[in-house]
Amino acid sequence: MSENYPVTIDNDGKSIWKFLLSELKPKGKIFTPFNIISVPIVILGLVLIVIRFWKGIGSITNLTQDVPWGLWIGFDVVTGVAFAGGAYVLTFMVYILNMKKYHSIVRVTVLNGFLAYVFYAGALLLDLGRPWNVINPIIGNNFGVNSVLFLVAWHFLLYMIAQLIEFSPAIAEWLGAKRIHKILSGMTIAAVIFGITLSTLHQSGLGALYLMAKEKIHPLWYSEFIPIMFFVSSIFAGLSMVIFEGSVSHKVFSKQISNEDHHAQTGIIMGLSKICAGAMFAYFFLQVLVFIHEKHWDLLNTPMGYWYLLEMLGFVLLPMMLFYFSYRRSNILLIRIAAILTMLGIILNRLNVTVIGFRWDAAVHYIPSWMEVAVTLTVIFTEIWIFRWVINRMPVLRDAPSWAKKQE
Amino acid sequence: MSINRRGFFKVLGITGAAMAIGRDLKAAPYRNGEIEFRGVLYDSARCKGCRGCEYDCADANGLPLPEPAKDLPPIRKTSEIKRTVVNEYNTSKGKVFVKMQCMHCNEPACVAACLTQAMHKTKAGPVIWRGDKCMGCRYCMVSCPFDVPKFEYHSPNPKIQKCDMCYNRLKTGEMPACAANCPNEALFYGTRRQLISEARKRIVENPKLYVDYLYGEREAGGTCWLYLSPVSFKELGMKTNLHKASYPALTKGFLYSVPTIFVLFPALLAGIHQATRSDNTNKED
Amino acid sequence: MDGFSYYNIFETKGMEYLIIITFLALLIPFSIILNRKVKIRRQLRKAMGILNTGMLKIPQGVFHSRNHTWAHLLKSGVANVGLDDLLLHITGEVNINCLKKPGESIAKGEVMTEIDHEGRHLKIFSPISGTITGANTGLADNPGILNEDPYGSGWIYKIRPSDWKADTSSYYFAEAATDWSKRELEKFRDFLAATMPKYSPESSMIALQDGGELRDHLLPELPEGVWQDFQKVFLNPGYRWDNERELRKV
Repeated sequence: MSENYPVTIDNDGKSIWKFLLSELKPKGKIFTPFNIISVPIVILGLVLIVIRFWKGIGSITNLTQDVPWGLWIGFDVVTGVAFAGGAYVLTFMVYILNMKKYHSIVRVTVLNGFLAYVFYAGALLLDLGRPWNVINPIIGNNFGVNSVLFLVAWHFLLYMIAQLIEFSPAIAEWLGAKRIHKILSGMTIAAVIFGITLSTLHQSGLGALYLMAKEKIHPLWYSEFIPIMFFVSSIFAGLSMVIFEGSVSHKVFSKQISNEDHHAQTGIIMGLSKICAGAMFAYFFLQVLVFIHEKHWDLLNTPMGYWYLLEMLGFVLLPMMLFYFSYRRSNILLIRIAAILTMLGIILNRLNVTVIGFRWDAAVHYIPSWMEVAVTLTVIFTEIWIFRWVINRMPVLRDAPSWAKKQE
Repeated sequence: MSINRRGFFKVLGITGAAMAIGRDLKAAPYRNGEIEFRGVLYDSARCKGCRGCEYDCADANGLPLPEPAKDLPPIRKTSEIKRTVVNEYNTSKGKVFVKMQCMHCNEPACVAACLTQAMHKTKAGPVIWRGDKCMGCRYCMVSCPFDVPKFEYHSPNPKIQKCDMCYNRLKTGEMPACAANCPNEALFYGTRRQLISEARKRIVENPKLYVDYLYGEREAGGTCWLYLSPVSFKELGMKTNLHKASYPALTKGFLYSVPTIFVLFPALLAGIHQATRSDNTNKED
Repeated sequence: MDGFSYYNIFETKGMEYLIIITFLALLIPFSIILNRKVKIRRQLRKAMGILNTGMLKIPQGVFHSRNHTWAHLLKSGVANVGLDDLLLHITGEVNINCLKKPGESIAKGEVMTEIDHEGRHLKIFSPISGTITGANTGLADNPGILNEDPYGSGWIYKIRPSDWKADTSSYYFAEAATDWSKRELEKFRDFLAATMPKYSPESSMIALQDGGELRDHLLPELPEGVWQDFQKVFLNPGYRWDNERELRKV
């Protein structure tokens, strides 16, 4: 069980640099299927990134003057951040509502959230035309306080810091730093409260980015309620990602997980599916409300209308019913299928607002180039590599060392 | 037709007055101590489609000269090398020309969108792009209802290209390049107040020549570039479904809820956390 | 906003963000200080001799039985047993009379000691079965140790258990023990409200002070009848008391 992985070494007497260097060596098999697929794509992606900086964004993307934001913003940033919403929902449940049942998965979810934000904010730098000026809104040249994007950018920064603080006790345990661990653990609740507030605002903020594109987004997806829709859907998007990623991690890293945590997994998934069902129920009715308010009945009988119905009925209503029924029948497999359907629905929704529904009437429709897809995959795979590196070394899935538990 | 002395002085006087009004920013009329917006009135009925403004614009801004008339595709849009285009439309009243460029809105969406304030609404009216601040995020392009800003996708140091009403020329007292040399006086430069009264005057004096609508008076909350047309604006390919209030006001509700949530949520969350804490008796000792 | 001159609808936003930053910075000390007062109140109550869960010592590694006895298995294979802190706070200082000697065997649920205070006694039943390997004779001379350190030097017997797992399977451990103690205190409050009127209506006044707080070391001041009921409800194995109506039947 946990004997395969060394308990955190108290490295008094061993230099920190030697320790860090030794941790850089790979653990486990080199030629796993994931490695074989991901390495060539990552290398390709890096080459493409060099070309992007040498010849401009247009050389590897299909962005046009009508559609300036494409896959990188619509998928990497907007959808990726929605999926990282599990972190704020779970920390809310565990630290604010004191639902101790979910305590064992908080760390891995916060890690996931932190890495997601770091990598998607990083991917954002690729999309910027003049990334060296990205420090301008940070240092005050100028503070564009009138801009929703200014708000979103600052929140990303602050939220990454909050998540780092929330996760840092695990790093302290890995390094054996006892005193720092105590200080960081004391800051957890403040970081959690700050993080939940920030999350609420930037999840809805990503939706608010599109408020000014009033006539440019298809009327079935544009409303003044986009921010609220994005916020509510981020709740079940994040939890579905937690269910999905939890199922994968439990199989891949099963050696690290204690028996109790394995048994607790079922209970946790059932609980999360219940919350998802409830959130999706509310979200569906919000959508109905907005639809009635905007009075776009005549648009339903168009190709875009059918697409809208597909998204709402096939990827919101259907997984909601699946979550509901599979919870009542305690069917874990169905819950996992529902989670995947929900995630597809979120991808669909975000892409509909940001790319597919954006200038749907443009002369030249935007379709991402294979190079954009390759770079996106590069970002995702690199994130998974770092995730795996951390899980194999820090006490995220396995129990914290005893000295850390005693401090609580 | 012969012109008598009175008529001559009348024309001279009016021309002189018109030229004096459209003069420079420095000696500009102030109202209540505030500098007023300047803009341009474009009159489709007077425009003969000579495209001299396209050449003047390219010349003044260091852009490549536009294609000669015979090589023109039917309808063109502005691009990263063309800050303005003049298109020809076959309408119910024959050939009508339309000049397209930045509308220099009163409350521009691009300025509200820009997180570095690279897009800047000057107090005098023109909306300019400041390259030292821009990070190339293209949010201004997403927000602009007129799809005006254009991005240099194929440059490693890309700029945003759009008409800036020749702001540098305005500061030295000249007129925008396109308005300075229009042979048919289709472009009239002045304060927005003057433009509106001039436009209304033309509509009243020539009711058969113009459609009774001043485009840009209220579109997007009002723009500094105004249009008069002999036919409906829809026939000229202009956007007629635009919101008649400012676009930044659409985000105002959200942006103002941010401080509210920043105050309420931490207080609420801290309170709920206190309320749901299990009393650990060990901790008290 | 007349459309003829510059107007900024977001003029105050910069100031608003600064106010928010100030608010958040002030919120941290504000809430810390607000919550600190609670600790002082608890210490005050302890000083005034009010019985509350804040004063109970409940170590985490010890099994608590329903009869207010505890058992702790040492590495040597021998278990210490004793009385729990809540019981001792209720009874106050008592004399202890060990009924068993080392070498004897004892069964779970068998009487192992008696505690008495001025003639009123309570029987204590053993939490586990096994062989007694030692008795704490020091308690006879210095019974105060029981109240001061009930889980450490206040142990009553050392027992080599015959079936530790089976005996302790239903006992409370760690956090569950803390929660259970809180519930037992509430149960004691209800118990008093139900029994006092039976035996001496005026004495219900003694138990409760202003604000309904229980006094520490309460039982010695109460009549004999209450002691007998207390024995039945809190110390006898197998008794389940769910509401006060049950008690009136007793």
